[in-house]
Amino acid sequence: MSARRGPRPTIDRVRRLLVMLPWLMERGEVTVAEAAARFELSEQDLVRDLELAAMCGLPPFVDEMVDVFIDEGVIFTGVPRLFTKPLRLTAPEGFALLAAARVAMEIPGGESDGALARALAKLATALGDDGLVVETPAPALAELVTSAADEGARLHITYWSAHTDLRREREISPRVVFVDRGSWYVIADDHLSGEERTFRIDRIERAERTGIIDTAREVSAPAIDSWFADADLPTAVLHVPASGKWVAERYPTTSVVPDGEGWRIEVTVASEGWLRELLLRLGAQATVVSPPEWSGLGAEAAAELLSRYEASRA
Amino acid sequence: MADALERITNLVALLMATRSPLTQEQIANELAGQYPEGDAAQRGAFERDKALLREIGVPIESEVLGGSDAGKTAYRIDRGRYELSDLHLQADERAALQLAVAAARLADAQFGLLKLGGERSSSPVVIANIPDLPALPVLREATASRAEVSFDYRGTTRSLHPYSLLLRERYWYVIGHDLGHGEVRTYRVDRIEGSVTVGATHAFERPAGFDPRATFPLDPKLIGDEPTARAEVLVDAPRAEMVVRELGDDAVLSRRPDGSVVVEVPCANLDAFRSWLFGLGAHAEVLSPADVRDDVVRWVTALAGSR
Repeated sequence: MSARRGPRPTIDRVRRLLVMLPWLMERGEVTVAEAAARFELSEQDLVRDLELAAMCGLPPFVDEMVDVFIDEGVIFTGVPRLFTKPLRLTAPEGFALLAAARVAMEIPGGESDGALARALAKLATALGDDGLVVETPAPALAELVTSAADEGARLHITYWSAHTDLRREREISPRVVFVDRGSWYVIADDHLSGEERTFRIDRIERAERTGIIDTAREVSAPAIDSWFADADLPTAVLHVPASGKWVAERYPTTSVVPDGEGWRIEVTVASEGWLRELLLRLGAQATVVSPPEWSGLGAEAAAELLSRYEASRA
Repeated sequence: MADALERITNLVALLMATRSPLTQEQIANELAGQYPEGDAAQRGAFERDKALLREIGVPIESEVLGGSDAGKTAYRIDRGRYELSDLHLQADERAALQLAVAAARLADAQFGLLKLGGERSSSPVVIANIPDLPALPVLREATASRAEVSFDYRGTTRSLHPYSLLLRERYWYVIGHDLGHGEVRTYRVDRIEGSVTVGATHAFERPAGFDPRATFPLDPKLIGDEPTARAEVLVDAPRAEMVVRELGDDAVLSRRPDGSVVVEVPCANLDAFRSWLFGLGAHAEVLSPADVRDDVVRWVTALAGSR
């Protein structure tokens, strides 16, 4: 978590207090350190808010409302008549919990002994039957790669790279698997380049365990939509017709503005090969505005493909 | 003046403890000295507190009074609606939910988990980035409570009995009976313009066994007038294995000695088909049928001549 600056907003303090009080009441006695860690507050902020809460009171039960006192780093909480239960789940919390549980059901190893299914059933009963379905079909090798990441097992793989358009054999130590925009990726130590690399799991043709177990190393997966931005990749500005708006929905962009009848879109270019394929898909009505060295790339890719069709016409 | 946290906590306690709804004046009297003096300042502070509490989900009920206080609004909180009902989660169920929430990394799920007595889990091995949109919680609740919804979509207002939500690949869809069209329709949630209006609950029944996955094909290449249309495509060795894995062994028509394969690919939707084909760059070529091959050649010829 990043360090916070300035006073905490009241809304966040109230929200947390209303979930903290019932938790403290249920336990009766808990250290400041444990409570602060659980609710992700500094000990100072936690003590301040609890001391304020202890001052709360209304006639005729001035002293019965919140019964908290703190002594030598321990919080003692009595059970008065209010705030004994947390505030109900909000609509966004209910949605997020149900969506998270359903996604986890689809992840290899996400559900082993039925506990998640039971938790999900209880949540769905409490929050209403919404018929929500999550589809994240995992590629065939996802299970092997995930268990390798879990165990620190090194794999021998055959991988096709979009960047070089080559298949290569390499050894990787998977660290974390993530699903983004419907595709599965693994971040791994790549022993071919000696660097940390991200691989698309559906582009791994073969994978087998080498028998080597590497020391665990914690790697955090990138946030949604931000991971291309972190990679320091070049961008290209495209003009596309109105029908080409899907480019902005499908790929990471740095700007999307209306341009005449169509759109001016700045896309992050993962590799020149990827841009060639994108331009083939967009067809003759799209143009590369900048950089100039890519302005003829679409026509070049089309000419290459066309010569293949002409050669095989016979 | 008291710290806002103290005043708001007292306000919640007061509204929960009261038997009959209280007006703003009565509330300010009970919380003597905690709200500012003066009508406008008091109203402003009270409205801000009320908005804050509603934003975090506190169900404040209001009613307009009759009799001697006619026209005044009075407020209370129904404790039964405020309190989380116990889900009776077992320890292993809570632990499984913790892992699920850690994998999804949605802030609202993490906070909801705190309410359920769970805690933040250390970094899991699998992370799933779930697209989060403001309309989703509203649509989920409407679907669960069988409430009609309406929203603007491509410049038209649509009214829907929502049957289900579906996350497929990178998009969320809402699927339901469209009242204007009189049939089941699918809408992309990220394309909804503005906010979703929710009508009365229990407005409809969802058809028994309704499955959103069956309402439209997973493969966009299948969406078209002739869903059985297929093209024969030659794929060169470097991409052959991946394409076979994607389409399945049943799609393979022949394997050639140089490692290339000929596969059968749905082409009912030519735009989707071309998009798939060009993803293989110069490593794939349509062999038949002739009209599909001609379409691809026309498309590529136009682009090649555009420089």
